[in-house]
Amino acid sequence: MTDHPSEDLAAYAIGALDRAERAAVDAHLPTCAACRADLEALGDVAWSLAESASLDPPARTRGRLLDGVRSSRSREEPPLVALWRALTRPVPIAIPVALAVAVAFALVGLREARTDADAYARAVAGVADGRVVALAPTSDGTARGALVVPSSGSPYLILQLPAAPAGKTWEAWVIRGERPLAAGITGERSGLVTLVLSQALVPGDVVAVTLEEAGGVAVPRGQPVLLGKT
Amino acid sequence: MALVARIAAQDARALGELYDAYGRVVFGVGFRIAGSPEAAEEVAQDVFQAVWRQARSYRAERGSVRTWLLAIARNAAIDWGRTHGRRSNREYSLDAAPGLVAEVQVEERVIASLRAERIRVAVRMLPTEQRDVVALAFWGGLSQTEIAARAGIPLGTVKSRIRLGMEKLRERLGPGGEE
Repeated sequence: MTDHPSEDLAAYAIGALDRAERAAVDAHLPTCAACRADLEALGDVAWSLAESASLDPPARTRGRLLDGVRSSRSREEPPLVALWRALTRPVPIAIPVALAVAVAFALVGLREARTDADAYARAVAGVADGRVVALAPTSDGTARGALVVPSSGSPYLILQLPAAPAGKTWEAWVIRGERPLAAGITGERSGLVTLVLSQALVPGDVVAVTLEEAGGVAVPRGQPVLLGKT
Repeated sequence: MALVARIAAQDARALGELYDAYGRVVFGVGFRIAGSPEAAEEVAQDVFQAVWRQARSYRAERGSVRTWLLAIARNAAIDWGRTHGRRSNREYSLDAAPGLVAEVQVEERVIASLRAERIRVAVRMLPTEQRDVVALAFWGGLSQTEIAARAGIPLGTVKSRIRLGMEKLRERLGPGGEE
């Protein structure tokens, strides 16, 4: 066979391929021992580069790590797997909000509105400018949310969530390709909140909300409770 | 593999052994990519926690433990940088970043091993244009396409520079490579 991705293996080994190219190599590798051997050698080079940057971590790091895993010792499924699995469910498509409601967007006031349910509906209907994408709840919980992409300014979420349990926080994610980017946290109180995303959005991004350790984490671990595709 | 299998079985001591073997490399990757000892510590915690949770998904036939661990570490560090704001790309160099490392050396955290020095020498011997693209990819987390766009050079040129640079390093660092 003539289509060995030999030219791409070095870039593959240092993570420099674009997704389609990487997928092509991934598909080829199981069928080709020569390319696997080549890649293993290039992987050693990549490891060497990493090794040349070796530094002693603070002594406390080891103990913290082991204390942490001993106390969790969970058998939950790997977090990203959970997230991607959830992503395979159908998500609602964008609902352009045609009703240019003349109501000023005043969530702060709405937060105190008669009921949370009303407040949520009003908040979403009150978005006078921009595109609203409903986020699909991924469990039968009470979470509701919508992504608002204003014609100018930062995208934000309108969320109605139960209060996060002690030591936990709700965290928003922008998932670009296979990469989740932390996009902000909220959560000590229940009810209606807005959360301005700390990440810009590009078409095709997925927005998710998960329950994480208080203070937020860099990589999602919780099951998403809300999901939507931009 | 036995070590990873024990980690998959949630043996915390096995995770400690993996940490003892590779913690310095993971911490160093975190430091180089995310830019501070605090960030590097957070990244290292995330990486080994990810290993703890994902050890069951490791497949020896798909590559070595080191390669698997390095991929997790680079992704975690690059994600950390994207989330918290990272250093600008021009700061990614394959040479030890002198200012940053010097500060740590004072605290005696750096052990300049002979091995690390040999790698640095091999890297320094690369032509600058090859060294730069490899650094942008490996430490900067950029794809070849992104590098081409940012540097304003043709994609084919970026590809061949990465390939040549990596091949040279392979010759110099591999078995029988020159010292």
